[in-house]
Amino acid sequence: MIKDVKEILFEVLQAIIPIVVVVSLIQFFVIRTPIDLFWQFIAGAVMVTAGLFLFLVGVRVSLLPIGEMIGSEVTSHGSLVFLLVAAFIFGFVITVAEPDVRVLSHQVDIASRGAIESNILIVAVALGVGLFVSLAILRILLGIPIFYLLTAGYVLIVILSFFTPPAFVAISFDAGGVTTGPMAVPFILALGVGATAVLGGKSTVSDTFGLIGLASIGPVLSVMILGVIFG
Amino acid sequence: MSLYAILQGFDDVLTEVLMAMSPVLVLFLIFLLVFKLPKKMLLSLLQGVLFAFAGLALFLQGVHVGFLPVGNEMGAIIGALPNRWILIPLGFLLGFVATMAEPAVRILSDQVEKSSSGSIRSNTILYTLCLAVGIFIALGMTRIVYGIPFYYIIIPGYLLAIILMIFSKPSFTSIAFDSGGVATGPMTVTFIMAMAVGAADRIAGRDAVIDGFGLIALVALAPIIMVMLLGFLYPDDNQDDDNDEKNPEGLPAEIEDNIEADTSLHSHGEMPTDPSPEDGQDLEADSQNISYQDNNEDAKSSQGKEVKDNDRDSQA
Repeated sequence: MIKDVKEILFEVLQAIIPIVVVVSLIQFFVIRTPIDLFWQFIAGAVMVTAGLFLFLVGVRVSLLPIGEMIGSEVTSHGSLVFLLVAAFIFGFVITVAEPDVRVLSHQVDIASRGAIESNILIVAVALGVGLFVSLAILRILLGIPIFYLLTAGYVLIVILSFFTPPAFVAISFDAGGVTTGPMAVPFILALGVGATAVLGGKSTVSDTFGLIGLASIGPVLSVMILGVIFG
Repeated sequence: MSLYAILQGFDDVLTEVLMAMSPVLVLFLIFLLVFKLPKKMLLSLLQGVLFAFAGLALFLQGVHVGFLPVGNEMGAIIGALPNRWILIPLGFLLGFVATMAEPAVRILSDQVEKSSSGSIRSNTILYTLCLAVGIFIALGMTRIVYGIPFYYIIIPGYLLAIILMIFSKPSFTSIAFDSGGVATGPMTVTFIMAMAVGAADRIAGRDAVIDGFGLIALVALAPIIMVMLLGFLYPDDNQDDDNDEKNPEGLPAEIEDNIEADTSLHSHGEMPTDPSPEDGQDLEADSQNISYQDNNEDAKSSQGKEVKDNDRDSQA
């Protein structure tokens, strides 16, 4: 466990320090933002580092093992319908807690000056992830080739994008990218491993492949639909 | 800088984090009670939620008072400059560095090296990915500076991904689509996005919402396209062809050990699993359909896989 914690700390520092260095260089050599604001950035960076570290420790050391255990209990006790409903709820709940999703929706809220409210966007993204995670589990159980679903999903996105109001197009594509954050990915993968175990005895690790790819299609579609409804 | 500036709005953040974390807590609690799992799990759950709560609160506060305002401000300053094209090289630089720093990207590089049987060096892949993300961000910034509609970039990008998927080797396609998220770490999502939104907000004729977003989508698309393209560099050999024929679903045996690495790739933290000698044997047995291995377990599992694949074939 101590090794995990050290690893997480190293990983967080490795990801944040280079960006802070580059931004500082830009600040001193290219564009000067007010110096107070720059110090605020440095303080923010310290908070981001500490926060990400604590968050990842909590998720990986405690929450993920529990999630995996629940996943295997659900899959071994439950019926197909129960499994799919559980997958949906899991996907939804995990996305609601995903840091990247929060940051995107906050920025959208600010940029649209409140027109696209943060919580509505989060719920839309979470619905999309939940739906597509249970769809992905269903495809594992039915043995539908992943490539059909990926192609269908991508084609659907391209078509739907022409009917989406302009304000929602870029945001919906971005929504697909933020669901692959530090919270959602390990949980979604754990769920897939649980579902493949149901297939019976032999490990079929290869089946979990595509879960992340599929899970990031869901929110793109759901935010586009949100746009069609609101726009 | 006053303390107020840093703590500003922290109460809102706390409320938000409470709303974010409580569904996880409630859901897990219900499951723990329903399945009557050991008491010590409850303690672990409480501990995990507490850590995650504090962490998320600090992270979001840091982003709200530090990364977003500075990103927005830098973007806005550049947007007001006559030579605002410097947003393009700056975007490239930031994208390159952020990708280089992202732990998941390194793991992905090792994984691609492994599935090319070492013929593509992991450092080559790493730099290619950094370059790709840098170029895609530069492209996104170009779009903001010159007002090119997002459609013109994202739709061809998605179509390219679909076309590549048809021709790409299954082992590379599988890694590609799951690796969509490797470069979209918290750094890209916070700082680079804020800069783009700030610039779009300032430049006349651009809209913060319509033009400012879309970078994350491009950053997610870059590795998908690059990994499949890298797959074409890896010379075809018989082994791969065999696999294609035997698994109509398009999941060659190689994937089995790729996926192991994939799991670690996405959990961001764990190091990639070293290719163990057993894996190598398994792969050989699968691809040549020979099962005279010392280890009976291995032979059984590859046969089981074969049977399952045939089942699937008839269903599909």
